[in-house]
Amino acid sequence: MPEQIDHYLGLEYQAGFTTSVESDTLPPGLNEDVIRYISARKNEPQWLLDWRLEAFAIWQEKMLPLWAHLNLPDIDFQQVSYFSAPKNMKSNPKSLDEVDPEVLATYEKLGIPLLEQQHLEGIAVDAVFDSVSVATTFRDQLKEVGVIFMPISEAVHEYPELVKKYLGSVVPKQDNFFAALNSAVFSDGSFVYIPKGVKCPMELSSYFRINESKTGQFERTLIIADEASQVSYLEGCTAPMRDENQLHAAVVELIALDNADIKYSTVQNWYPGNKEGKGGIYNFVTKRGIAHNNARISWTQVETGSAITWKYPSCILKGENSVGEFYSVAVTNNYQQADTGTKMIHLGRNSKSTIISKGISAGKSQNAYRGLVRMTKKAAGARNFSQCDSLLIGDRCGAHTFPYIESHTPSAIVEHEATTSKVSDDQLFLCQQRGIDTEKAISMIVNGFCKDVFKKLPMEFAAEAGKLLEVSLEGSVG
Amino acid sequence: MGTTTTLTAPVAKTYDWLSALREQGLEKLATLSWPGPKTEHWLHTPISKALAELPELSAELNSETVAALGQIGGLDAIRLVFVDGRFQSDLSTGRSGYAGQLSILSQLETSAQEQLEHRLNTTFERALNKDQHIGAWQNLSLLSDGLVIRVAADSQIDKPIHVVLVATPNSRSEQQATRIICDLERGAKACLIEHQVVLPGGQGSFSNQLTEIELEEGAVLDHYRLGLEGQSAVSLSAAHCALGAHARYQGFTLALGGRCQRHDLVVHHLHGGSHCELKGLYLPCDTEHVDVHSCIEHRLPNCTSNEVFRGIMAGKSTAVFNGRIHIHQDAQKTLAELSNRNLLLSPDAEVYTKPELEIYADDVRCAHGATVAQIDELALYYMQSRGISRIDAELMLSFGFINELVEKIELEPLAQFLKPVLQSLFTRAAAAQENPS
Amino acid sequence: MLSIKNLHAKIDDKQIINGLNLEIGPGEVHAIMGPNGAGKSTLSYIISGRDGYEVTAGEIALQGESLLDKEADERARAGVFLAFQYPIEIPGVTNMEFMKAAHDAHRKERGEQPLDSISFMKLAREKCKEVNLDPDFLKRGVNDGFSGGEKKRNELLQMMILEPKLVILDETDSGLDIDALQVVADGVNAQRNPDRSFIVITHYQRLLDYIVPDYVHVFSKGRIVRSGGKELAKELEQTGYGWISE
Repeated sequence: MPEQIDHYLGLEYQAGFTTSVESDTLPPGLNEDVIRYISARKNEPQWLLDWRLEAFAIWQEKMLPLWAHLNLPDIDFQQVSYFSAPKNMKSNPKSLDEVDPEVLATYEKLGIPLLEQQHLEGIAVDAVFDSVSVATTFRDQLKEVGVIFMPISEAVHEYPELVKKYLGSVVPKQDNFFAALNSAVFSDGSFVYIPKGVKCPMELSSYFRINESKTGQFERTLIIADEASQVSYLEGCTAPMRDENQLHAAVVELIALDNADIKYSTVQNWYPGNKEGKGGIYNFVTKRGIAHNNARISWTQVETGSAITWKYPSCILKGENSVGEFYSVAVTNNYQQADTGTKMIHLGRNSKSTIISKGISAGKSQNAYRGLVRMTKKAAGARNFSQCDSLLIGDRCGAHTFPYIESHTPSAIVEHEATTSKVSDDQLFLCQQRGIDTEKAISMIVNGFCKDVFKKLPMEFAAEAGKLLEVSLEGSVG
Repeated sequence: MGTTTTLTAPVAKTYDWLSALREQGLEKLATLSWPGPKTEHWLHTPISKALAELPELSAELNSETVAALGQIGGLDAIRLVFVDGRFQSDLSTGRSGYAGQLSILSQLETSAQEQLEHRLNTTFERALNKDQHIGAWQNLSLLSDGLVIRVAADSQIDKPIHVVLVATPNSRSEQQATRIICDLERGAKACLIEHQVVLPGGQGSFSNQLTEIELEEGAVLDHYRLGLEGQSAVSLSAAHCALGAHARYQGFTLALGGRCQRHDLVVHHLHGGSHCELKGLYLPCDTEHVDVHSCIEHRLPNCTSNEVFRGIMAGKSTAVFNGRIHIHQDAQKTLAELSNRNLLLSPDAEVYTKPELEIYADDVRCAHGATVAQIDELALYYMQSRGISRIDAELMLSFGFINELVEKIELEPLAQFLKPVLQSLFTRAAAAQENPS
Repeated sequence: MLSIKNLHAKIDDKQIINGLNLEIGPGEVHAIMGPNGAGKSTLSYIISGRDGYEVTAGEIALQGESLLDKEADERARAGVFLAFQYPIEIPGVTNMEFMKAAHDAHRKERGEQPLDSISFMKLAREKCKEVNLDPDFLKRGVNDGFSGGEKKRNELLQMMILEPKLVILDETDSGLDIDALQVVADGVNAQRNPDRSFIVITHYQRLLDYIVPDYVHVFSKGRIVRSGGKELAKELEQTGYGWISE
């Protein structure tokens, strides 16, 4: 293939800078004292500390899951620091004056200005820096319509009944190894409550940044959409370029009560490691939502970063006529590995789910789709449609598809299709012959391949996602 | 009824090398554990439990009964009968004239023994080093008799080889296994029918059957496996094929279900230009369980594979289908397709299907599709509007769903034999639907 | 317009063009005919700069400027347009965005601003009408699921939008019935003008009834073995290509 692709694909990770800010960082290691420290630092009530300690006990009993198509390195969980926060900051800053200017500058550099006069129009942002939330914009405006959007560490104090009722209700502590770990040590994350009948007036978003070296990030997000409410939420993630591997193990729980609608979009751009596969984030994430009657949960993800991605945003379609959607673009390059997909558990009558997954593998990377569609006995009239396509760029990468389909009810319909294709020399030549250079041609073809997913993203982010794709296909074809 | 002669297998000659192989099988078996509920390749198929629960029974066999088993009308074939893994000379017909091509493992000449020993030693390890193929290791550990088919270059066996495999309740204590070796040299052709049958009365039985196939350049094998071992049978069966350049393997698998029926199909494309065609049906009803695992390994360029499996689950039955296509890095220009479609006829039936693609080469065209659905309402309505009862319409449509594959069976007498077998199955399933007990 | 001098080329160490000479003046239509396997399509790839073809000697120049050190896209922007024998499908990339990207690239080459989307859409719709292609095809993936005739008309559409100087029609008649051929030929003829030259590659004389050439060349074993006027095509229809090997 033409040489120019190399140049084009040689673009660098753009969020790889570090912020020099003094931090309070726990020394590496995990034991009950660490958990007590995190809990005390956040002034947590006893029930939450107990909950964390229970999770820790469960975690110690659990084994690292090895079933994914991943070559997992030995991760020494005692070499990770489980808490880090910028020093010049109270744990819950009341205004931006209390936030280290260096931290604010970091977000500005990433295109997420937090200062009031520069707020992104129509988007409220919760910015999480290492283990703490540094700012949440538009809080007051949202509060006027009853929408609660704040760091979960604050919600624990301000809305304890809501947190207590729903925390762990979708992803229990014992769910899996990483969910147990997160439950024990989670530091911050966003809490959202949309009251009955309210359509959230703006996009909500969280922006996660790992800055400190040797630090893991363990955020916890809880979104509750009360009856007939609507919300669209977006998260973005970046980290500096470092030679070491850093751990990210998040849990996201969504609760869509009757007739509610939650749209959750992720643009995951954690540092993927360098061309030789050194460094990068290990991304082990448990995301799950429960949809009650006539409710809808829609996951859209664009996964371009991380050295390892292990992630299956799922829907429990509990209610009648509930709807689950999963739209995914996962790009791997160089030595990245991804094993990602979804689970659609159909419990409600006439529940419906749609899965569109686009995997793009380049370099020496491995990219797997793994999905489960389960039609339980009660799910009469349920439907699923899945389309999983893989695009290979180069002949040293792998693209894999592992769909698990189970049906226990005769009136349910499941359809799954998967194809694989490559960017062909013919296609590139046609584009070139019409005067389009190779850079543009690859970008068009790959974007075309992902179109069905990109159009599910909020408008502002669709173009961003396209650009991210170009950057992440670095050096993939020789 | 004639006189009752109890059938006892002629005592198989024991060869030292065979004992050594059995020993090897036993040793390997000891290192593997029978799969539990979390073993990936055995999810949903509780084989250990099924084996443990096999009833201790015994049966007196009568040679006339066995002679009547597995007859396919109009089929001009070489008929070879095995009872509980032992060859039955008296009940087998049409073997004369094929002595050079067909031999019985327990009756081998010394030179042939050496050849076979070599064959078993060199090929067996391929891809079998996993829990998935524990049945194949068990087969080795029990190996005492079987069939060796060897067709020389550019020649063929002009009649289908009809192997009738009878598993009796006695098999429970004997735990006998059958092995079929089928080697076709360059340009050779053959047609093999493995026909697992059930004794009248259908008491529980156990069988382990393994067929190993090597096709050299340009060789063509038509291979039918009819898994009719009956409702109470626990059976493990497998076919392992290695394909040479431009070789062609055409397989048809029918798994009617049993107490626990597992069939493993493994195809290795070892040289360029080979083609495999895998078609199959699984049709469990009542409380039957059937599990078909297929794995196609594309190792070199320009090979093609086409796999079509359909299943209908009635009653409280369970079906498991796993269709894996593995494209290795050097297998450029591969074309591989898999289609798996399932119909659930009853609210108590269930199906688990997992088509898998694992791809390490970019210039390939691979696709798989899997569906689980019910019978098309519109088609039902259309038939009902022409005066056909709903039950009959369902029956016709379900039968049509699998008949598409039966129609494509080139061996006409076999297709004719299968149709009424399948038809009666559907009538039974439909009756159960109508009068749930 | 196009000048090919003593061209030698090979692919995978196989010599495929052996000393080809061809001069094409502005506004001229040259037909290249020859038996299957003569290397006719190869020639179109070499002129348009497809990867994998190595020119070992000789020269190709467009309007006096050498093409050989240019990439395929640079040649396209210099004015070379290849209408493919088998137009390539690009699912997911719409015809509209594909053509806009090409059109933008051509304008940029000339130092012009790209057309805004609305003006371009208007242009594309107009041209669609001219080639009798439903504007809905603009929204579909490039050639994705198009019939043979639709693909060829789509090639024509691209040609009209990009306004090339040199058009190479590679076996444009293959897979077309007479009616479809008429439509395509009409489109091509409408594009003939004193500043645009054509190379019409074809196996059959039939196409040349519709697109009448100024010159006909017989191509065999990588070079031109005979040249003449349009009457040569008629003669070939009578005699076939068998005489070449004699």
